[in-house]
Amino acid sequence: MAETTAVSEEFLRQLAAVGEVDIVVGVPTFNNRETIERVASAIQVGLTKYFHRDRCVLINPDGGSTDGTPELFKSASVSDFGMLLTANPLRTFHRLTAPYHGIPGKETALRSLFTAADLLRAKACAIFPPDSPSLTPEWVEGILRPVYREGYDYVSPVYQRRKFDGLLVRALVSPAIAALYGARIREPVGGELGLSGRLAAHFLRQDVWEREMPTFGLEIWMVATAIVDSFRLCESFLGPKIQATKQFGQDLGGTVRQVVGGLFQCMDMHAGYWKAREGSQPLPLFGFQYAVALEPLRLSRRGILDAFRSHVEQLVPILESILTPQTLVELRQVAQLAGNDFRYPDELWVKTIYEFAAGYHRSAISRDHMLQALPPLYRGWLGSFILENQKADLGKIEERLETIAHEFERLKPYLTDRWDTETGGAR
Amino acid sequence: MAEETSWYKDAVIYELSVRGFYDADGDGGGEFRGLTLKLDYLAELGVNALWLLPFYPSPLRDDGYDISDYTNIHPAYGTLDDFKMFLDEAHRRGLRVITELVLNHTSEQHPWFLEARSSRQNPRRDWYVWSDTTDRYKRARIIFSDTELSNWAWDPVSESYYWHRFFSHQPDLNYDNPAVREAMWEVMRFWLEMGVDGMRLDAVPYLVERESTSCENLPETHDVLKSLRARADRSFPGKLLLAEANQWPRDVAAYFGAGDECQMAFHFPLMPRMFMAVRLEDRKPIVEILQSTPAIPDSCQWGLFLRNHDELTLEMVTDEERDYLRDEFARERRALLNLGIRRRLAPLMEGDRRRIELMNGLLLSLPGTPILYYGDEIGMGDNIYLGDRNGVRTPMQWNGGWNAGFSAADPERLYAPVISNPVYGYQAINVDSQRRYSHSLLSWMKQAIRIRQSTRVFGRGSMEVLDPLNHRVFAFLRELGEEKILVVSNLASQAQAAELDLRRWKGSVPIEMSGGSLFPPITERPYLLTLGPYQFYWFNLRRL
Amino acid sequence: MKELVLGSLDQTLGRFHDMLLGFLPHLLATLIVVAFGWGIAMLLKIIARRLMALRHVRKLSEGSGISLLLRKADLPPPHELLGRLVFWVVWISFLLLGLDSLGIPELHAQIIRLFLFLPQIFVALLVLFVGLLAANFFSRAALLAAVNANLPSARVVSGFVRFILILLTFAMALEQLALARRTVLITFTISFGAIMLGLAIAFGIAGRNVAQRVLERLFTSAEPKKEEGEKEKVEEIPPL
Repeated sequence: MAETTAVSEEFLRQLAAVGEVDIVVGVPTFNNRETIERVASAIQVGLTKYFHRDRCVLINPDGGSTDGTPELFKSASVSDFGMLLTANPLRTFHRLTAPYHGIPGKETALRSLFTAADLLRAKACAIFPPDSPSLTPEWVEGILRPVYREGYDYVSPVYQRRKFDGLLVRALVSPAIAALYGARIREPVGGELGLSGRLAAHFLRQDVWEREMPTFGLEIWMVATAIVDSFRLCESFLGPKIQATKQFGQDLGGTVRQVVGGLFQCMDMHAGYWKAREGSQPLPLFGFQYAVALEPLRLSRRGILDAFRSHVEQLVPILESILTPQTLVELRQVAQLAGNDFRYPDELWVKTIYEFAAGYHRSAISRDHMLQALPPLYRGWLGSFILENQKADLGKIEERLETIAHEFERLKPYLTDRWDTETGGAR
Repeated sequence: MAEETSWYKDAVIYELSVRGFYDADGDGGGEFRGLTLKLDYLAELGVNALWLLPFYPSPLRDDGYDISDYTNIHPAYGTLDDFKMFLDEAHRRGLRVITELVLNHTSEQHPWFLEARSSRQNPRRDWYVWSDTTDRYKRARIIFSDTELSNWAWDPVSESYYWHRFFSHQPDLNYDNPAVREAMWEVMRFWLEMGVDGMRLDAVPYLVERESTSCENLPETHDVLKSLRARADRSFPGKLLLAEANQWPRDVAAYFGAGDECQMAFHFPLMPRMFMAVRLEDRKPIVEILQSTPAIPDSCQWGLFLRNHDELTLEMVTDEERDYLRDEFARERRALLNLGIRRRLAPLMEGDRRRIELMNGLLLSLPGTPILYYGDEIGMGDNIYLGDRNGVRTPMQWNGGWNAGFSAADPERLYAPVISNPVYGYQAINVDSQRRYSHSLLSWMKQAIRIRQSTRVFGRGSMEVLDPLNHRVFAFLRELGEEKILVVSNLASQAQAAELDLRRWKGSVPIEMSGGSLFPPITERPYLLTLGPYQFYWFNLRRL
Repeated sequence: MKELVLGSLDQTLGRFHDMLLGFLPHLLATLIVVAFGWGIAMLLKIIARRLMALRHVRKLSEGSGISLLLRKADLPPPHELLGRLVFWVVWISFLLLGLDSLGIPELHAQIIRLFLFLPQIFVALLVLFVGLLAANFFSRAALLAAVNANLPSARVVSGFVRFILILLTFAMALEQLALARRTVLITFTISFGAIMLGLAIAFGIAGRNVAQRVLERLFTSAEPKKEEGEKEKVEEIPPL
């Protein structure tokens, strides 16, 4: 059972005053002075516009900001939006701040949000990042409607992406989840997410909250848990996503550690589930899909290749204890390819990931070290992918990513095989 | 200000229809002799003023608001002598009487209109508003949008159009004509001289028309009213003028003038918001409308009501609010009429006794003079299958016997069938049965009115809305001199806890007014109150 | 002569026989003690493991961070580690006890010395064990950090870290055995240097991002400008 230690007494008093609600929206913050007002207003406008009859509360779990974020959150006013509003909210609109101490982390924030949703018997709960520059009131509807009106339990966003944007998710996390859990979820770590009250309560009852769980890993854990425990998932198209300038894990190492680490951890937890599963299904998609022209990323690949070659050679002693001899040999061969010939084959990529996952499972070396050994390989794969698709259009990229996803599914027996092998690695 | 001339501030007004109250002569409809027989009941209820719906000679195409003779009694209701007798008997019991004065229009059967339409040269022609085209006053809205297409109606006799803001059989009088103003003063004088204590001025915003305006709330209209008030004050001090202006508070407040126009006006926007607040379980609508209500002159008073003889009008709400109220309170679409909902209080509250009490509790404690509608004190139902607003005007249910004890006539002869369904029918809901036990709605109403009448704070005190974090709890403080009353209401269907900031009244002891129980004294700390579903408290804050 | 020889031989054999007869029970006792000791050690190991595996003990070790520390150092989990330690300590003690029961006086004296020396040996072994593991762990951490920071000579850095740590470990182990008192001064010098390095590594791990940026700036400033621009652009691709 979840303990209520995630909720301070003062917060509880506020919750008691808010009483039963239909919708809980959370914006976890930590020093987000610059963006919080805009985000809070956009959400309030969205709620007013699309859910003006419903009882809503906007909660801001704050990890001890020192720049006055909670105050700005509370004072953010929608009066400037008055002209844009077609509807005047019928009800009192509550905004609560729930400060918590300790390490600012999503898990504490989410835990207090879910506790609030559970205590307030909310039917729907949504979470928005505090720094998303592309958040519009329409996103609020996009995230909440499938849960609140259509009876889904988990809504994951779908964005329009730039060409080489977010490839760690698109070419690793998402296809891995599809292959393992059978649900083709495109943005498992999107940032925005919606969930039903009963799913929030279900999450609260799990025993992950006392454990160490990386921030993005938590989102993957939620997706995976929702799938494993047979909740209804869907996706909602929100539009183009612009990355916040300073986001968690903008540096690759940290991101890989959190995202891929979270994925591996879930694979470890749910091995019984994914081993017994075959094939994958797309999720129901809500929202009107439109496209706008996005400024493409300007890239250069030179430098990557040299770095990759030397990195692989230097990491051999570590890779030896993670990868099978054959994979390692292939990897070293690939790394030796020069210039335009350089290709990181899909099969090798998927095998690399799967062997890392299996290595993580049996703790071949320190799990943290293992996750640190992955970014250089990801960079190499990225370089290869960019090289290969420099002239490709968005559709072509999608096709390529689909091939990779297929590869993940095709090689799943290989993973199962590696998983159950006690002694792995070349050593 | 003399107490005697501001009696309306301490009043609890009871609105009734003479036709629907009691039929003493067995002709199927009530009359003044019948009403006189039931005055003891009204005195016992505790009200101290009666507002009578129109009882003048009329073709009765708009429930008497289409008057064909201003200074007489409709033969079905008796004679002028019957009326005088009723007036005396009412006064003897301390009940004041307010009658209707329909200023804006007459019936098309009124001799004035008959003369005016007879020819374009008739000297009374100018008593009404005529036009050869329908192009004038284009900006005026159509009020009875369900029945009328235009504010102009064709008169085939004089072959021109006449102006009407309501039904086409109710031509508007022309207040630009001094003779009309004089004639209406004569009408007022007739009744005030007879002893009537006040007049409800029907449809006042529409008296005067001007091109390129909405033809509502015009300064000229206010001038007409001010002159009537001045003349009334001169000849009959202490008589009440009560304005019916279904407008936003800012516009209605204009009808108080500087205390030189009407003494009272109905607070139309508050009423639907009270319903909305209870439905939403959120005090926001009430608090917002109270905040946007301007201060009014000392001698003036708001008239508060929950339901009346009209539909629950939804003109003074926003589109979303209206949609919400219609969705929530008129699930049966038949209940809709014009912009509003034609239902009585009890069916609107789904027969929930706790909600009915809460609504009445708010009505009796908010700043203003409460106006009860006949039958609502026993929780009477309605009949939405009768046309127009007749469904809320059915005979009063006195007992479980023949015709609900209303009339000895054959049921077929009644002006309207009595309510006879198993939930709200007269066998279940009637005065006699509710008199017999102490926890009936009627008994509760008597007690609530008695408490309200026990102090003048409710009628005259200042109002301060408190702001507990729990939006389901509506709390306010009424204060008059040393006397302070704290009202705390739970608008929700579940039990609620609220922490009130009462530090300013530290040291006072709340005494619950219905039972006299002492509550813990107020300290520096937030005052914690728990309230059951739809429960409310009236506390007398006593400094010991 | 022959008799003398035979007599002497007989005497010798007799003495040997006597000695053997006298020694055999000792040997038997030794074997019994050793075998018994092995059994006791096994039993104690199992008990220690069971005790450590108890839920709240495990929770305690998880909570205190011991488990995490061991995991990070790539050591077996605490219950396993303790079990093994208990086993070896007990068994070696019995082994020595057994040897002692052979009844050889010289051996007895040595064993007494050994017994007195035993704790130091164990500590030294432990130091060696932990030290080697730590060297392994930190050299790998250094390698990864260097690679991820795009340092050109990651292997060298990692090897250097390993070397220093092993050196330190051996110095500490010897110090523990008090075999080379004179090396204390040297050891101290080395350990001081090693601690500074350890701190540097700790900084590198804890503040890796900061360090990375600092290093990157240091590193790239030495590179031609053109390279820097291109690298920056590639880094721009958001992974999420």
